Amino acid sequence: MTFAEYAWLIPIFPLIAFVVVGFLGNRLFKNWEGGAPIAIGMTAISLVLSLAVAFEALTTGTGTPFIQSLEWIVVQGGEFAFTFNMGIYIDNLTALMLIVVSFVATLVVIYSLGYMHEEGEKKRRYYAVISLFISVMLGLVLASNFLQMFIFWELVGLCSYLLIGFWNTRPSAASAAKKAFLVTRIGDIMFMIGLFVLFVGFQGNLDFAYIFDNVDAFVGGNELLTFGTLMLFGGAVGKSAQFPLHDWLPDAMEGPTTVSALIHAATMVKAGVYLVARSYPVMVETPDTMLVIAFIGGFTAIFAATMALNNTNIKRVLAYSTISQLGYMFLALGAGGYIFAQQPEFNVGYAAGTFHLMNHAFFKALLFLSAGAVIHAVHTEDMRLMGGLSKKLKITSLVMLIGCLSIAGIPPFSGFWSKDLVLEAAFAGIEYNSLFILLYAFGLITAFMTAFYMFRLWFLTFSGEPRDKHAYEHAHEAPAVMWVPLALLAILAFGSGFAFLFGFESTLVPGLMDFHPHEAGPIDLLTAVFTNVLTYASIAAAVLGIGLAYMMYKKRAIDPARFTSGSVGKTLSNVLLARYGFTKGYDWIGLKVVYGTAKVVDFIDRRLIDGLINGISAGLIRSGNFLRRAQTGFVQSYAAVIVVGVSLIVILLFLVGGVI
Amino acid sequence: MIEYGAIYPEIILILFAVAIPALHLLIKSSRALAGISLVGILASAGMVVYYMVGDYPAIIGDPSAPLIVFDALAAVFSLVFLSVALVVVLASARYVEKDRHLAEYYTLIMMSTAGMMLVASAQDLLTIYVGIEIASMATYALVAFRKKDKRGSEAAVKYVIVGGLSSALSLYGISLLYGITGTSSLAGINEVLAAQGVELTTLLALALLVAGFGFKIAIAPFHMWAPDVYEGAPTPVSAFLAAGSKKMGLVVMFKLFLVGLIAIQANWDVVLGIVAILTMTIGNVVALSQTNMKRMLAYSSVAQAGYMLMAIPLATVVGDYAITGGIFHIITHAFMKSGAFIVVAALAYVAIGESVADYKGLGKRAPFLAFSMAIFMFALAGIPPLSGFMSKVVLLSASVEAAEITQWMIWLGVALVLNSALSLYYYVRVIKYMYVEKGETEARIKVPIALTAAIAICMVATVALGLFFDPVLELCSEAARTLFPALG
Repeated sequence: MTFAEYAWLIPIFPLIAFVVVGFLGNRLFKNWEGGAPIAIGMTAISLVLSLAVAFEALTTGTGTPFIQSLEWIVVQGGEFAFTFNMGIYIDNLTALMLIVVSFVATLVVIYSLGYMHEEGEKKRRYYAVISLFISVMLGLVLASNFLQMFIFWELVGLCSYLLIGFWNTRPSAASAAKKAFLVTRIGDIMFMIGLFVLFVGFQGNLDFAYIFDNVDAFVGGNELLTFGTLMLFGGAVGKSAQFPLHDWLPDAMEGPTTVSALIHAATMVKAGVYLVARSYPVMVETPDTMLVIAFIGGFTAIFAATMALNNTNIKRVLAYSTISQLGYMFLALGAGGYIFAQQPEFNVGYAAGTFHLMNHAFFKALLFLSAGAVIHAVHTEDMRLMGGLSKKLKITSLVMLIGCLSIAGIPPFSGFWSKDLVLEAAFAGIEYNSLFILLYAFGLITAFMTAFYMFRLWFLTFSGEPRDKHAYEHAHEAPAVMWVPLALLAILAFGSGFAFLFGFESTLVPGLMDFHPHEAGPIDLLTAVFTNVLTYASIAAAVLGIGLAYMMYKKRAIDPARFTSGSVGKTLSNVLLARYGFTKGYDWIGLKVVYGTAKVVDFIDRRLIDGLINGISAGLIRSGNFLRRAQTGFVQSYAAVIVVGVSLIVILLFLVGGVI
Repeated sequence: MIEYGAIYPEIILILFAVAIPALHLLIKSSRALAGISLVGILASAGMVVYYMVGDYPAIIGDPSAPLIVFDALAAVFSLVFLSVALVVVLASARYVEKDRHLAEYYTLIMMSTAGMMLVASAQDLLTIYVGIEIASMATYALVAFRKKDKRGSEAAVKYVIVGGLSSALSLYGISLLYGITGTSSLAGINEVLAAQGVELTTLLALALLVAGFGFKIAIAPFHMWAPDVYEGAPTPVSAFLAAGSKKMGLVVMFKLFLVGLIAIQANWDVVLGIVAILTMTIGNVVALSQTNMKRMLAYSSVAQAGYMLMAIPLATVVGDYAITGGIFHIITHAFMKSGAFIVVAALAYVAIGESVADYKGLGKRAPFLAFSMAIFMFALAGIPPLSGFMSKVVLLSASVEAAEITQWMIWLGVALVLNSALSLYYYVRVIKYMYVEKGETEARIKVPIALTAAIAICMVATVALGLFFDPVLELCSEAARTLFPALG
């Protein structure tokens, strides 16, 4: 028996939770925390199965993926024939995602028991939708072809929309939900165009297995393929909130913090990274696309980090940080692919991107959930009203410190290992394209800024004197259902990086020919890392960032106000707070361009098309009335019509066929 | 010694039909009589199914010019007629319980059904004529069943007069054909015509037969009786006429043209195409401005007859596939149309009028009736995934396929699509009245269980045939192939 054969059950369990909790009524779950036990139980079963499947794939992996599929839509028709399948595709990347998604998901639903306790009847909706999300996210990960992936891609988007707008009576939440939905929709459309290109190019076969083994069979030339992969990446840009479609993610923080942790940090926003990593065998055929991916990633990393520098909302800072870290992942994947296209042999890019994906999922989920514990305690997200909370929230402040050290990249915390690899991948690109000098610099500066804003956040929240006495008085440590998941995540945020020493690089490889990772023991790897001067550069950047934050927000040796007092500083600060004007830009596009077009289309539809239709229908009804009046009700006239009819038919028959 | 196996299903039905008036002396209850009729209908259907799963019975008559052949076509149509009879009897049990001559009502329905079944297996113009007359005579009486009802009586008189005229026309046509070819067997006629060619008299005979049989189907311009009669007749009888009697006319047309006159197809294919398009268009256009439900349904079934008729010209090119579509549409229409009529009957039973405006707010007052009516309306309009959609799809694809060889046939498909779009207007209007408009009261309506059962049967069939059409299409295809012996 192999576990993989039962992998299709993984998304089924949370789906059952969705159906049971979502449709069996409020009364049943009134005393049941809105169905939370069912959601937790089903997600936990999924977790166990996921771990079994992942363990099996990672240990017995022969390099060939496990595939199971059913025919879904079969179209016969000679040269236009095609078949869509529904199935599962399990390789090491799938295994990694299964672990990340099901593990974080389970902890988040458990944590929700405490965090969402006071939501009353709305809880049922929450647990139903979050179960649905977990189900479709796992489905996305397991999908065996691009179309199936796209379907789940849309479904996770729907769940994201529903959960961002969870507090649907709050106008800001409602509009944030709409914004997230519409902006990612732009990416989805590009994804769809990419699918069309692949569909045409691979002649109706969208199966991963087929495409990856037959990349050369693409019909339509390299330009078309480049366009196709660019469009696929466009989908990733929307879903993973990369520049210029990044602006929905900070607004998405209107949802409950658990949702931010699960969907907008650990899993759904990773779908874009996953898409690029998944389609690597196709993507590496188009180095231009890879360069674009690396550039967008690197630029987004630094661009988003700047906005985190002076924000005072604890969740927003984490949101910008997420965007920035996702940029790292794209930078690594893009750099790795670009290098591979120039020189088809092993490089660290792919491993760096996926490794950072995993580590980030753990430490960012930890950071969000810790922030949630803080918000739960003081009922505000504004860091200006916090301060000194480490005395009240001992566990929270400790685990959050672990998260901060990890994301800042201090050895041996997990973030250190993967960020180091990302920067190494970017640096390796310099040999092939001098653009990577810039991208490496972006990465390094981002590392500095990350360390700075994360510790700014930590100091503002936990150290110093409480700035809001009332909130401080009422603050209390989170209950066990909340801090136990935090502790588990903290262990991973500390330790998941050690996977690097135990062969992460050589296990997580894309399905590429000529991609032969060198097997190396832990000692060799350690030596390699710590004899590399780049390592010390990134550690230095992190330490500098932490040091600056310490001086400004702990020792108060440097007054933060100094930066914003001058006119240049003030302008810059306002630009950052206004998110470089992207919010307004989106609104302008929405209001002027889209709404304007809609009005024109509306005019054409109502006046021209409807007018035509109404004219035709009026004419038909009039002729109906006329014919109705011909129906006199007198049987004599019916008989007369019959006789006339017979004569007409004889004439017609004669005219058409004639006689011989 | 003649084997009569081929007419056992009819004989069973007639035995029950004759027994019922006798039993009425003992049993007074309408429901019990309906129950006995149902047993008869089911027994007959059992016989048909027995033949279908086993071997078909021996033919009656000379093998080279047979009179009656009970084949797959006859079996499928017999089942259609029997299902309609079943649903109508079920719906009538309470509907007619206060009327006099109860027993005769059931007898007439079963007699008429037997006549239709005879037509379905007949292979000779005279047998066909006899079958039609058996079926018609009974329906004349059924329309006039409530003789105190002025509308009903008027309708019956019209029906008899126009029916008599049509009967005369078809008999005249038959005698002319006999005169030309020296035989009344369909196969024989075809052979002689293939050898002799066409004369003006042949054309006249053809036109007379189209008029005579077209009267039953209510194709334009021989349809004018239908709205008056459907409106005046007791509503279950209207269902019987629209869903049963009309189909009998169609099976005659299939046989007449594709077996008896296929040799001279070049003479009639275009004309039948024109008649089909004319029929669907007139039916739909006039239905647009109807406010009486029964008249609207009458015109709607005129239009639907046009869709079914188009299978015949298409069959001259694509053969059995077109007829498969035609038969499938006949089956789906039998359920959706009788379902719709029975909903009208059920509402009339609880004293709700026949005008569309009377249906305001039904969605609240009678959720089941309104919902089933909505299903029937959507199915008639051809909305997926209901059965009416699937059967239209087959017809449409037949026309597209035929157009590759004979170009003008694409117009049949175009007319089908445009007409379907047009018909949506008056079908959806009913739904709008039921669900959108507010009624004067919100009092719930209770309908007898037998009527509900009849409606439920039709609704299940209407939905199921749209979802699981494969086995039924297989059956239709087998039936259609019997018209094209060359295909085996």
